[in-house]
Amino acid sequence: MHPATLLDRRLLIVTGKGGVGKSTVSAALALAAARAGKRVLVCEVNAQERIAPLLGEPPAGGTIREALPGLSTVNVTPQDAMREYGLMVLRFRTIYEAVFENRLVRYFLRVIPSLAELVMLGKILNEAKAEEEGRPRWDLVLVDAPATGHAVQLLRVPSALVDTVPAGPLRRDAEWMQAMLVDPARTSLVIVTLPEEMPVNEAIDLDAQVRGVLGIHRAALIVNAMPETRFTESEEARLAALAGEPPPLGPAAEAARLQALRAGQAARYLARARAAIDLPTTVIPLFPLARWGREAVERVAGALAAAPAGRGA
Amino acid sequence: MSGVREALATRRIAVCVGPGGVGKTTVAAALALDRAMRGARALVCTIDPARRLANALGLSALGNVESRVPEHKFAEAGLRPRGELHAMMLDVKRTWDDLVARHAPDPARRERILKNRLYQQMSSALAGSQEYMAMEKLYELATDRDYDVIVLDTPPTAHALDFLEAPDRILDFLGNETARALLAPLAGAGRMGLRLAQLGGGYIAKTLARFTGQAALADLGDFLQGFQGMYDGFKDRAAAVHALLSRPEVGFVLVTSPSPVAIDETLAFHERLHAESMPVAGVVANRVTPELWPGGEPLPGAAELAAAAAAVGAGDGAFTARLAATLAEHQTLAAADRLALARLFARLDVPRSVVPRLETDVHDLAGLARLGARL
Repeated sequence: MHPATLLDRRLLIVTGKGGVGKSTVSAALALAAARAGKRVLVCEVNAQERIAPLLGEPPAGGTIREALPGLSTVNVTPQDAMREYGLMVLRFRTIYEAVFENRLVRYFLRVIPSLAELVMLGKILNEAKAEEEGRPRWDLVLVDAPATGHAVQLLRVPSALVDTVPAGPLRRDAEWMQAMLVDPARTSLVIVTLPEEMPVNEAIDLDAQVRGVLGIHRAALIVNAMPETRFTESEEARLAALAGEPPPLGPAAEAARLQALRAGQAARYLARARAAIDLPTTVIPLFPLARWGREAVERVAGALAAAPAGRGA
Repeated sequence: MSGVREALATRRIAVCVGPGGVGKTTVAAALALDRAMRGARALVCTIDPARRLANALGLSALGNVESRVPEHKFAEAGLRPRGELHAMMLDVKRTWDDLVARHAPDPARRERILKNRLYQQMSSALAGSQEYMAMEKLYELATDRDYDVIVLDTPPTAHALDFLEAPDRILDFLGNETARALLAPLAGAGRMGLRLAQLGGGYIAKTLARFTGQAALADLGDFLQGFQGMYDGFKDRAAAVHALLSRPEVGFVLVTSPSPVAIDETLAFHERLHAESMPVAGVVANRVTPELWPGGEPLPGAAELAAAAAAVGAGDGAFTARLAATLAEHQTLAAADRLALARLFARLDVPRSVVPRLETDVHDLAGLARLGARL
């Protein structure tokens, strides 16, 4: 078996705690894949759109839009996904409108638990498995998934439905979706975290849930915004005293003292994540940038390329 | 402009809202501790505290139970509170169960609802359920207990709207008369005996069943049937909660970090609260990179630093070059934070507290007290 790399799957799910940089990592992975000649689709899930703006492009909304050559984005919403799904099942727009414009039907569709998640996931997985002229429509579909709890809720919908819904169309859809999600040849998941207490705790919990509840293949742990170890222990010991000096030495030493402190804490949380999560780990340095946009994505993509996660062990 | 602590001094209820990952729980705990230190009987209701913070507050794994933070925890931290600090962790499922128990006309009905599969899924599967129950619990605590102040932490919401809309959305679901009437024949019927044609307009019903299957509709019918007669109680309660939130004794505290994404979400929250006439007491900008060098002044070069270091007999050239680079990086991050906060404060004319990124994670009472002093 060849050592599978992250970008060789048909579907790659990126998740982690809110605020850890999932969107930046997703955009960077997509950029790397597109530059390797792949046709890539990045799906955001009912979110305030970030991927296209991070790349310096206008938001796509609910319709797939090519942001850069080979790199398209879309924001999957329950309304659009429901409409597409409805049209697919019913085949005719007039019937769809007759049925879906019915207030009662709208009520049911809204309240049947998990239906919104199912149709959103269904749209994403449909894109991932779609074939055109004998080849996949996309070489890679990347999901910038919601934060931990919401992602698990989204990804476990197919298996929950397979367990509870009797035979029927809903069940058939849930079955193929579940089969695709747990197929390690097609689907994989990466966990993004920061080297800080809560994000690492959540990454560890998430990892356990992916293994125990979701059964989706896990490819890599990506630790984002890692401050470098810049000062030796003996230098660090001197910084506190130097921080009391007048400018310019004092402020510079204070900045260095804070950097060293943060780097030390980050190193401990990185070690904790590595010890608890048995996955290839890629560490992305902290980039001190004044603006977080295309340049940041390029820098992160560069860091990912320098240390590709998911290769080997 | 005064800080958030002063702005909350006269309020009985503080609700901390904001995006995930900005330290909302810690800020909520620090605000409650601050009031306890100054003599109040204070309660902090958290959603999902970090383990060490939970330990510091003496919270056990058991949710929904208030417990007083013991004296020895304060003594260990070198604190002498003039009041009391209580803490609890919200348990969404238990809060739902309590709510059903309170409104059910008899034990049989309560059991019927609690056993319904759809009800059991609801606490986790229905969007906004956690937000709804956080509000519900707050109302119970505010009306049935005699705390001087209650500080509520809230779940990290993906959408600012969820927070205020969730109760209405869920009540709309529970109280849909048409749906209940139409599904009545299905409730309690054996699965094999279901006749969806009874669902008024057989054509629409059949189409619907193509999506959901009949069993799901039967569960829903049973569930709505179970709630019959209880809806008004729920609705009155939700209206009371909403009314409570707009009273002047309540203050919403927006908590954010300087990340542009967090700022966007915070502004969206604020707009929403403002539109609903909810009282915003202040904003906490947490984890801000402190300014170490006066704005506009050129940063020192390696040579200048080397000379200054040599004067006090410290460091070689390589060391001072790293100092120069670190200060420049630090100031880049500080400038980015300053710009982000300028955008926030330009649109938010409320009391504010800017809290620098602390040197260690806050995970004990002493740390909370230090944080509280900066609010």
